[in-house]
Amino acid sequence: MSMIEFQQTSKHFGANVVLHPLDLAIERGEVAVIVGPSGSGKSTMLRCINGLEKISGGDLRVDDISVLGSARDVRRIRLEAGMVFQQFNLFPNLTAMQNVMFGPIRARRQTRAEAREIATALLHKVGLSERMQHYPSQLSGGQQQRVAIARALAVQPKLMLFDEPTSALDPELRQEVLKVMQTLASEGMTMVVVTHEMGFAQRVGSRLLFMEAGRVVHDGKPVEMLSTPPGERFRDFLQHVN
Amino acid sequence: MTFDWAAVIAALPDLLQGLQLTLIIALAGLAGGIVLGILAGVALTYGGRLTVLPAQLYVALIRGTPIVVQVMFVYFALPIMMNIRISGTSAAIITLVVNSGAYNAEIIRGALDGVPFGLREAGLAMGLPFRNVLLHVITPIAFRRALPAMGNQFVNLVKDTSIFLVIGVGELTRRGQEIMAANFRAVEIWTAVAVIYLLVISALALGLRVLERRVRLP
Repeated sequence: MSMIEFQQTSKHFGANVVLHPLDLAIERGEVAVIVGPSGSGKSTMLRCINGLEKISGGDLRVDDISVLGSARDVRRIRLEAGMVFQQFNLFPNLTAMQNVMFGPIRARRQTRAEAREIATALLHKVGLSERMQHYPSQLSGGQQQRVAIARALAVQPKLMLFDEPTSALDPELRQEVLKVMQTLASEGMTMVVVTHEMGFAQRVGSRLLFMEAGRVVHDGKPVEMLSTPPGERFRDFLQHVN
Repeated sequence: MTFDWAAVIAALPDLLQGLQLTLIIALAGLAGGIVLGILAGVALTYGGRLTVLPAQLYVALIRGTPIVVQVMFVYFALPIMMNIRISGTSAAIITLVVNSGAYNAEIIRGALDGVPFGLREAGLAMGLPFRNVLLHVITPIAFRRALPAMGNQFVNLVKDTSIFLVIGVGELTRRGQEIMAANFRAVEIWTAVAVIYLLVISALALGLRVLERRVRLP
């Protein structure tokens, strides 16, 4: 059984088709990197996985739970799928520590002591032991995004979804976030990453998906796809992002 | 003319009794208005058609009519329509709750609407049901956004209690009016009444200022 299974999954907003019927399986331990021009449906596809977008047709199963199931099922999927957003979305009224403790307490119903232990370990892991008592507004973009990764991990997910995690960051801050993601991948975390970072795709990705106009046009090994781009459009795209 | 301090001192016990009633009505109106405002505000912001429409109607009705008319309606018309008896103080409190609830609802709707959508998604993405996202993610931020406008509303609410003199509720302004009718010391009595209101509202404003500072984010 795959970690994520798209089964004729489609999505449209009114008459606007964002995702054409898609069959795709993402296995445990895979790091699937999704690239493509803006408006190609990458983010929508990602957001369908944890039900932030409702699918319009077909089915989509995460760890064999359907996103079409009950509200409870959708919440189970969300507990298993941590999400990192382009705009970080940290809670501005909570410190870094409290942000990371939030999930264990509110979503996993753990005690404050347990949550504090988890949060301390995760903030250490993302290199922010010195910043635990800082509020988001007191942190750089890169630091905020690392807190956001720790916050998602604190819920103990089985897979992680990244929605353009470095797009809102200055180039010099991107590496610190990408490094944390690379560590995560090396530990065997299943990851789906929407990004423009081709370097990351090549170094860390086990699979590269190229999307265009709501379709996955190419699907292959990153190294091969980047050394011999399989199509005209993909070649064009690579030239534009580099 | 000379300012007759003796008249003020003589009136003070009565005025303070009036103040006591003013504070009781204001506090009850404040508490009830907050509860009603939260309910209506949440309904306006997140409700389906079945809850949005009644909430909109309520707000439109209250904001579209003067509070004097509202209290007259509650005190004189409602008892006839429902065949009940109602005391002036109860009518005053009901009017104030319903009136301030409508203004609070609009303030709360604005505050809830202003919370960045991404925060809500961050909460949902962790597997929280929406009611918990509302409680633990949206509310703490909306509360801070609503505070200045709510404070303004509370100040107005305290002063609005003076309107209830029209139905004979013995609150501060009514007491002042009664004393003045007996001794004709208009300058002394109305100065005293004004100063008492000013002190109460200054204390309230100070409390609100302190609260705002305490919850301010870095």
